[in-house]
Amino acid sequence: MKCALASPRIRAAGIESTEFPALAEEMEVYAVPRIVVNGVPQWDGAVPERVFLDRVLAPAFE
Amino acid sequence: MAIFRPEDEERVRELFAELERPVELLVAHGPEETPLPGARDIDFGAQTERIVRGLAELSDIVSIRVEEEPAGFERYPAVSVQPEGRDVGVRYYGLPWGYELGSLIGAVLEAGRSESSLRPESLERLAALDRDLTIDVFVTPT
Repeated sequence: MKCALASPRIRAAGIESTEFPALAEEMEVYAVPRIVVNGVPQWDGAVPERVFLDRVLAPAFE
Repeated sequence: MAIFRPEDEERVRELFAELERPVELLVAHGPEETPLPGARDIDFGAQTERIVRGLAELSDIVSIRVEEEPAGFERYPAVSVQPEGRDVGVRYYGLPWGYELGSLIGAVLEAGRSESSLRPESLERLAALDRDLTIDVFVTPT
């Protein structure tokens, strides 16, 4: 959320898994928080700010 | 029915008193997915609106707007957190209760800051971003 507020290039959504079971199943949500970037599941669990940015800004998303 | 215990409500009121700019919460209603069989019989849209209305009552500069199927929403109910009424791409999909309510309050606090709470080096990295990213965080209320 902070990233989306800080960058016009980023959109961020918090999604309540139990209310959207079809989407949660598609994104293979078995543990939370589950992070999905550009529609592709990435990892589970909260990480520090620097690690979060390392991961979401990784070249894989170019 | 109040959404907070009195002591929690006072705490949120104190936090909101530190907001430096207005924050608008847009509640988007629309067709809702059928929840899992056996799920609680809850009107998610109505409850979402009730919670957001409860939040808006705790500060003069936090406001609520309610719309039916506004553009830019993928599912319902949804809440868009908008600093000074601008849609900057922050969404909560689903009823914001339990853990999610704390997270929504956190988003209001961040949106109400005139400067990001991210570290300067993080802001530099974000400023260098040359592509669009969509980050979805799947959560549960507990």
